[in-house]
Amino acid sequence: MASPQERHYKLALVVDDSVMQCKVLGVLLKEEGYRVFTANDGARGVDMYIKYQPDLVLMDINMPVMNGYEAARKIKSLSKNTLAPLIFITSMDTDQAFIESIEAGGDGILVRPFSPEVFKAKIKSIQRISDLYAQVKSLQQAQQQDAELAEQLMSGVIESRNFALDRIDILKKPAELFSGDIQLTAQCPNGDVNVLLGDFTGHGLRSSIGAIPLAETFRVMTKKGFSLFEIIVQMNNQLYDLLPSDLFLAAGFVSISSSDATAYVFNAGLPDTYVYDQLGEIKHKIVSTHPPLGVIQSLLPGSKLDVVSVAPTDSVLLLSDGIIEAGNHGGEMYGIERFEQAAKLGVTNQTLGETVLYDVEQFCQGALQEDDISLISVPCGDWVKPVAVNLPPAAKPAPYGTFVELPESGALWQWNIILSGEKLAKVNPIPIAMSFIQEVEGGGEQWQNLFTILTELFVNALDHGVLGLDSSLKKEAEGFALYFHEREKRLQQLTDGTVELSLSYYQLAGSGRMDIVIKDSGKGFDHKAFLEKISTEQEVEMALSGRGIILVSQLCDQLDYRKGGSEVTASYLLS
Amino acid sequence: MSVKKHVSSNLKEITIGIDDRFDFSLHQLFRDSYIGEVAQGAVFTLDLSRTSYMDSSALGMILLLKDHAEKLSGSVIIKQPNESVAKILEIAQFHRLLKIEN
Repeated sequence: MASPQERHYKLALVVDDSVMQCKVLGVLLKEEGYRVFTANDGARGVDMYIKYQPDLVLMDINMPVMNGYEAARKIKSLSKNTLAPLIFITSMDTDQAFIESIEAGGDGILVRPFSPEVFKAKIKSIQRISDLYAQVKSLQQAQQQDAELAEQLMSGVIESRNFALDRIDILKKPAELFSGDIQLTAQCPNGDVNVLLGDFTGHGLRSSIGAIPLAETFRVMTKKGFSLFEIIVQMNNQLYDLLPSDLFLAAGFVSISSSDATAYVFNAGLPDTYVYDQLGEIKHKIVSTHPPLGVIQSLLPGSKLDVVSVAPTDSVLLLSDGIIEAGNHGGEMYGIERFEQAAKLGVTNQTLGETVLYDVEQFCQGALQEDDISLISVPCGDWVKPVAVNLPPAAKPAPYGTFVELPESGALWQWNIILSGEKLAKVNPIPIAMSFIQEVEGGGEQWQNLFTILTELFVNALDHGVLGLDSSLKKEAEGFALYFHEREKRLQQLTDGTVELSLSYYQLAGSGRMDIVIKDSGKGFDHKAFLEKISTEQEVEMALSGRGIILVSQLCDQLDYRKGGSEVTASYLLS
Repeated sequence: MSVKKHVSSNLKEITIGIDDRFDFSLHQLFRDSYIGEVAQGAVFTLDLSRTSYMDSSALGMILLLKDHAEKLSGSVIIKQPNESVAKILEIAQFHRLLKIEN
């Protein structure tokens, strides 16, 4: 038997113990274009319904074996996903009959006697409702399919590409099939980890159109080594251009540097971000300091990252407002206090996501979840990139002071950039250099070490050369935060000063060599003492400063400071 | 109706009050309340003294009102949000985008 959607004709079922009545109704229905089946008791009516799946059922009330009410209940329970319009035909003109008919699942009642015209009008009106119902159903199905596709795309394209899923605890419970929350993690070239928790306005498919370009930007910029703040500026621009005024993204960003024992945080419209120690005590709360992204064209003046010192055993926790605002049947909200208590327990047991979710569910007792729930917890220790993968066998610090020049004419290509004043404060040349190198020489893992070398040398030239910052600042407990703030301050006031970066690439038999020269306009520093100090590696291994330059000297074939420390030359061999 | 509106006789001061919940269900009503007000320099006062709850889509709706007001070289003032609504406005740092009066 064809299903109702596949038939090209309409089918009606008449259930009445009077053969005469069946015939009369049958004739009228045929005039309306129906094919008609009849049954003479309720039980037989239910059987016929199952067999033929009619578009319309006319039901008598008083019948042998099974009465009309009971038959109607059975039919309605069999057709939960389709509206099988069912009309009671009766001579019982009482309120009671009317009420019971509707309660049994009937969609209408027609009381005898009625004229053929009234009967046909009733059939038409019920058919109209049934057509509308079918339309809604098919729209609903189409929407469901779209959401499923989008969900697949989200989990396939966006979330499966997240970094370190084994170490970062991510909890996600969407209010609908498709969440308006987005959680991204990615690794920086220097081994730091960048994390984003975003909450688009509303939830469901509509709210997530910005998610895919956003994820792309976050990953690509992180990979290229842009700083967290540069990434945020770019994302805000992108979302402002992409989204209509009433759609935006409340977002929290964290970048954790294990080597600096520092977390950089930006909270734009999320509830407080937490830093917990391993005992579950709150060490810091970082409040929202900026409207959500995509609301204003560029970030508010004076916007900056919050910088906090962290221990390796600490963790940083981001959450969306869905948890705080989860409600129970009494209309009460879960709230911050309950959350903090559950989080404390969860951090202590190292089951944060699980513990918090369990507690929220206990509180809500099955009340409808109105908003997406999500939470990310990132440990602060051990985000270090394994370096020096292809060191020559006798790996030792480069021979300082004897720099062998290759003839300049031998260079396959050269590239340089000079940044000064305000531009020096705002533009990071390393991602630009890296993308140039990869344009010319092709991408690949071999450039990772070069990225580290360039970054360390450039930062040294800028921080200690041009800005004159003293790295001994970093030795104190809150040193990195102090250092970072001082750096920000001096960068903002920077009006002169120059850094020049030059690259020369030489082709050697079966490999290549990159010569790097970085000159800065600073006064230089006591590089001899510095180099001597770092050559006694043991001593500085535990120190917070100077670590970068040791790494560089290990990675480079040659490394030398000149002109009192204001010019550095390095040479990197590609295998 | 849970969106109430009052317009001054010179058409330049529009007060919009929201009762109870301010969420996506009010989208159309809220828009209808201001879209016809086009006096140059109009000041839209959003009275939230009777608003018990506000969600993020309401924040979006306020931004649309702000766009509308700015097109008229006017402004938006939010008045008397209760504690929980004020918290939501604070997290979203809306005081940096428009005026909020207690």
